[in-house]
Amino acid sequence: MDLCHRNNVTVHGDGPATLIFSHGFGCDQTMWNYLYRHFTKRFRVVMYDHVGAGRSDLSAYDSEKYSALAGYAADLSEIIDKYAVGPVILVSRSVSAMIGALADRLVPGRITAHVMVGPSPCYIDSGDYVGGFKLEDIHSLLDTLDSNYLGWSSTMAPVIMGAPGQPGLSEELTNSFCRTEPDIAKQFARVTFMSDNRADIAGLLTPTLILQSTEDLIAPVAVGEYLHAALPASTLYLVPNVGHCPHMSSPSACSDAMDVFLLPWAGVRVN
Amino acid sequence: MSTDLPVPDFETLFEGAPCGLVVTTQDGLILRTNRIFCEWLGFNQSELQERRFPTLLTMGGRIFHQTHWAPLMQMQGSVAEVKLDLLHRDGRTVTMLLNGVRRDHASGAFYELALFGTTDRDRYERELLSARKHAEELLREKTAVELALRQTKTDLNIAYEKSQRRAVFAEQMVAIASHDLKNPLTAIGMATDMLARGERSPKEAKLLEHIARSSNRAQRMIADLLDLALARVGNGIGVMRSAADLHEVVHGSVSELRLAFPDAAIRHQSIGMGHVELDADRIQQLVGNLVANSVAYGDPHQPITNVSTLESGVAKVSVQNWGSVIPESAMGSLFEPMTRHSARDDEVRSVGLGLFIVREIAKAHGGDVSLSSDTAGGTIFTPSFPATPSNRLS
Repeated sequence: MDLCHRNNVTVHGDGPATLIFSHGFGCDQTMWNYLYRHFTKRFRVVMYDHVGAGRSDLSAYDSEKYSALAGYAADLSEIIDKYAVGPVILVSRSVSAMIGALADRLVPGRITAHVMVGPSPCYIDSGDYVGGFKLEDIHSLLDTLDSNYLGWSSTMAPVIMGAPGQPGLSEELTNSFCRTEPDIAKQFARVTFMSDNRADIAGLLTPTLILQSTEDLIAPVAVGEYLHAALPASTLYLVPNVGHCPHMSSPSACSDAMDVFLLPWAGVRVN
Repeated sequence: MSTDLPVPDFETLFEGAPCGLVVTTQDGLILRTNRIFCEWLGFNQSELQERRFPTLLTMGGRIFHQTHWAPLMQMQGSVAEVKLDLLHRDGRTVTMLLNGVRRDHASGAFYELALFGTTDRDRYERELLSARKHAEELLREKTAVELALRQTKTDLNIAYEKSQRRAVFAEQMVAIASHDLKNPLTAIGMATDMLARGERSPKEAKLLEHIARSSNRAQRMIADLLDLALARVGNGIGVMRSAADLHEVVHGSVSELRLAFPDAAIRHQSIGMGHVELDADRIQQLVGNLVANSVAYGDPHQPITNVSTLESGVAKVSVQNWGSVIPESAMGSLFEPMTRHSARDDEVRSVGLGLFIVREIAKAHGGDVSLSSDTAGGTIFTPSFPATPSNRLS
C-alpha cells in the first residue's frame, strides 16, 4: 500500500516531534496553508488528504471501509506509523478530531496530544445533548450536495473566477480543491454528520487543546464545552471568530494558542 | 462611439440589474443588497441590513457554506456556480446560482455576490441526475445478469466435458469387457462341443445343449457389443468388399436363418442382376439382424419377406414383417444403440444393438437404411448401398 499516493501525504519542515494535520469534511489539506508554515521550523509537519478528498487516490475509495469513521482512523494510524518521528501531535479539524480520537483508542499512547479545531463528538441533538442539528438538517445538506452534483463533480472542468489582487493564490488553487466525487462527498457527509462518538471520547486522557470559534454553526460553543468536560486533560480556547474555519480566518489566534500548548514538545529540540 | 440614449447611472444599474447583488463582510454580515435580490426573497432592503447572509439559506445550504464555499472564498478569493436554496420570506425555497468574489481593502475584505434565479434549470438538473442514477442502476443490473450468464455457460461447459469423459470411459469399458469375454466364451463353446461328442445320458445331453445355445447367444451379444465399440470408439465397422452375387449372399443367409428359426416362414425374392462388391459376412450379418428382429417383433403367423434388388447401380435388401406399426415418433431413435421398440423378453432378444449394427454396415458400404411402417405395407427395413464403391447413391 503506497500511503503517499493513497492519501497524498506531504512532509514539511523538521523537528523532534511530528504534527499531523488532518482536514475535515469538505476541502483538503490545502486549507492548512494559513497555519502549518508557522510550525515547520520547530516541528516535522505531515499533512494528508482523506481518501476521496483532494488529490487522494480515488480508486482506493472503498464504500464499505469508509462507511464509518473507523475506516479513516485506520488510515490515520497507518500514516502515523509510517511518517511520524518522535512524539505525535494530531492537529485535526472538525470530523477529523473524532477520527483522531478513534486512532488514539486504536493504539493507546501512540498519539501524544491533540489539537482539535472546531470538533464535535455528535452533530445531532439527542436528549439533553445539544449538537446543533436535527436529522432533517442533515437531509437538507445531502439535498444541497445533490443539487450541486453537476457543478461540483470532479469530472467537470473547474471554473474558477479570478481572485482580484491575489493572482498567485488563485493560480495555486485552480486544481481540484474542494471538489470530490459527488457520491463520495455524500457518503462522507452522511458518515460525518450521523456519527456519535461521545462514548469514544469520554475519559480520553491524552492532553487536548480545543480551539473553539466564538461563533460556529457546525460546532457551537456548547459543543466545545461539552468536549472540554468529557476530556479530563483538555484545554478549551475560545478563538474570536465567526465560522467553522478559525485556522483560515483567524490563523494567528490559533497559532498563538497552539504555541503555548505545544511548548513541551517543541522545547526538547536541540539548538 | 457616442449615443444619444441616456445611459443609466451606476446606482440604477446596481439596483435594477437582472441579477441579485449582495455585499457582505467576511463574516457574512450583509452590508448592501440590490432591489431585485430583495424582491426575489420578498424582503424590504432595510430588513436584510445587518443580517448574516447564511441565515437566508436552508440548513443544508448553511452547512455547505461552512464546509465548502466559505473556505473557497477565503483561499481562492472566489466561487463560481454554487447552487443554493434561499428561503423566501414566506418560507418557500428559491433556488439560485451564486458567483462570488472577495475584494480586499485596507480595512478588510468584502464578499461581493451575484445570484441568478435558476429554479427551472435546477429542476432539469435534478431530472438529469435521477436519469443518470437510473441508467447506472440499469447498467449494474445488466452487468450482474451478464455475469450470471457467463457463470452458467462455464458451468454448462464443465458439466458437458465431464459427461463426455464419462461417456468415452463407459464405451471403452464396453469395448474392453466384450473383448475380454470373447476368449472364455470360446473356451466354453469348445469344451461343450468336446463333451457332447462322448456318451451322454439324455439329461446330460439336454444340459449340454442348453450350455451350447446360451454360449452361442452370449457370443452373438459380445460380437454386437464389439461392433458398437468399433463404431463408437474406433474408426467404425470395417468392411472388406469383394465381387459377389447379391442374391446368392442373401439366399445363403436366408437358408441358414430358416434352420435357426424353424417356426418362421422366411421368404426371399430377387430382382435384377446380382453383380456387386460387398463384404459377404457383413451383409449376412445385416440380413440376420433384420430377420431376427422380424422374428422377435413381427406377427408369427405372417411370413417374413426378403427382397434383394439391384437397380441402376444400387443394391437393396429389404426385409418385411407384419408386426405392429412402429409409431412415427419412435422411428428416429430406433437405430440408436440400446433402443428397444417392444417390451418382449425372450431368447431371440439381444442387447439392443441389432438395428444400430445394420445401419453401421450399410454406412460402411456407403449407404443407409430406410424404414416404412404402416398397416397396408407392413414394416419394411430397406438397407441400400452403391453396388460398387465407385457408384454413388444419388
